Amino acid sequence: MKGAAKGDASARPRFAFAVAPLLLLGVLAALPAFGLGPNTVRLLFVTLVWVTVSIAWNILGGFGGQVSFGFAVFYGLGAYAAALSVNRGVNSILSLLLAASVAVLASMLIGLPTFRLKGPYFAIATIGVSEAVRVVMTNVSMTGGASGYRIIETRPFHQLEHFYAALALAVVAVAVSMQVRRSKFGLALIAIREDEEAASDLGVNPFRTKLLAHALAAALTGAAGGVYAQYAAFIHPQGVFAFGIGVAILLMPIIGGIGTIWGPVIGGVVYGLIHEELIASFPQLHLLIYGSLLILIVLFEPAGIVGLLDRSFRVFARGWRVIGSHP
Amino acid sequence: MNAVDLLNLLIAALLQAGVYAAMSVGMTIIYGVMKIVNLAHAGFLMLGAYFVYELYARFHIDPLLGVLLAFPAFFLIGMSVHWVLVRRIPTSDQPTLTSLLLLFGLWLVLQNLGYVVWGNSDRAILTPRTLDVLQIGPISFPTVRLVVFGAALASLGGLEFVLHKTWFGRAVRALMQNSDAGRIVGVNVERTARVAFGVGIAFAGAAGGLLAMIYSFSPDFGGPFLLRSFVIIVLGGLESFAGVAVGSVILAVVETFCILVLPANYQPAIAFSLLVLALIVLPEGVAGLWNKRRRWA
Repeated sequence: MKGAAKGDASARPRFAFAVAPLLLLGVLAALPAFGLGPNTVRLLFVTLVWVTVSIAWNILGGFGGQVSFGFAVFYGLGAYAAALSVNRGVNSILSLLLAASVAVLASMLIGLPTFRLKGPYFAIATIGVSEAVRVVMTNVSMTGGASGYRIIETRPFHQLEHFYAALALAVVAVAVSMQVRRSKFGLALIAIREDEEAASDLGVNPFRTKLLAHALAAALTGAAGGVYAQYAAFIHPQGVFAFGIGVAILLMPIIGGIGTIWGPVIGGVVYGLIHEELIASFPQLHLLIYGSLLILIVLFEPAGIVGLLDRSFRVFARGWRVIGSHP
Repeated sequence: MNAVDLLNLLIAALLQAGVYAAMSVGMTIIYGVMKIVNLAHAGFLMLGAYFVYELYARFHIDPLLGVLLAFPAFFLIGMSVHWVLVRRIPTSDQPTLTSLLLLFGLWLVLQNLGYVVWGNSDRAILTPRTLDVLQIGPISFPTVRLVVFGAALASLGGLEFVLHKTWFGRAVRALMQNSDAGRIVGVNVERTARVAFGVGIAFAGAAGGLLAMIYSFSPDFGGPFLLRSFVIIVLGGLESFAGVAVGSVILAVVETFCILVLPANYQPAIAFSLLVLALIVLPEGVAGLWNKRRRWA
């Protein structure tokens, strides 16, 4: 999406964007003090998991311009790796690292053949990957196949523990995303998005850069899947490997604002909250809404909600500014 | 495994290939003229299936006639989709992510409209001839597959005629070979693209109807067929109609014969494996084909 590239929306309203996240983090971390009900905490937990995967997708899809429909693969593999290792007595942090490593391995296996394809062809190949992995996982007997896999709980369940795990992972994801955005590696990714041939003329190795971004995104997504699995304690292929999960992971950053730092976060929050509200009563309606939203965003506001905010912010600011002070 | 079984499987594969060709040819036309990968293809396959189903269930219109009616209906739908959505995105000589996401959004909308209208239960079109079998010696043909195969071939023949005997067809072929040269000799790109999009969608709708005569369907119907269509056009080299035929035969034969060695529930993974294989055989992948073409341009 070339439109997202014009002007870096993430860098513009600097002050608000620097303070707001810290404030938000503080509020979230102090959450137990508010004595929220388990349902609210669950909603926040799920939203944080969505935010993490949304940021992860954006590293490859937003910065690098490589749209993947197949992130459910990493999410699901992470969930299964965490569940399997927890049941074998691995402690929960180590099991998340394992989940991330399995996802990284998968990202290499998938990336090596599919990154030979450029742009849209990569995107379509990932649809195939996602379908193939789900089919295989439905038939693997070690994990219970289609009937799913259960974590055997040895300790009492503390909801807040899981909440903090998700919060910590989301913070890590934001930090990684910021670091990538400002590093040389991030610039190489953006160069590939804008013009792969030109980037490669300037000494960027597109294949290796994409593979690395894929691995980084996979690690975060796999860990997020692991966090989810530890919370849910029961996972099944039609859930964590569903094509719908891959679609959701792609929709969130695009709705929020592709290629920015905070766009995916906003997209994840919006998706998480609306999804939870709508899925119970109208399971189909929410995808209908998101499909229409995707069409509208592609046609009218490629920079998503962040772009929309940015635009309205500027309209607002123009009203105050002395005429002629700015071109 | 004796010779008769082998022959039966081979015939089944060929019958399947006919349907696959009709299914993926719409995607090829749209790709060839506009360089857009139509992800909404799956949605139109699904709509085509329900179109034929509704005609049969409500008005007792024979599914074959329904497929015939699907051509004009989906042609108009396709032209309007192009008018409302597709013409607004920037054109390019390579597929853009914008077009991919736009059509993906359209697929989501169509699929979930399908859920809203028809619910998520599976439907099937059962006609008196659905279960008939034609027996010639030791070889048996399911009648409905023969009929579908015939209809698929007829529609491909019709397309071939249009492409080679009409001004529109010549314009389409010109744009597929070299869009700049086509423009220079006076092809109206926008109008040709609109009609081509209509034809592509018409084929998607009709193919959906044909598939519905063989398989049961739900609003989720098109997904696996979208991937198969893509594998077919990649195998066939993306922009040639002969390639579509070759790709269809390859995919159908591989899928059919894999049943001998693989459990049937792994079948959906075959298309993807074929895609990866095609990439290894063509190390530069699809990009290599483009670059060659662009160097000539």
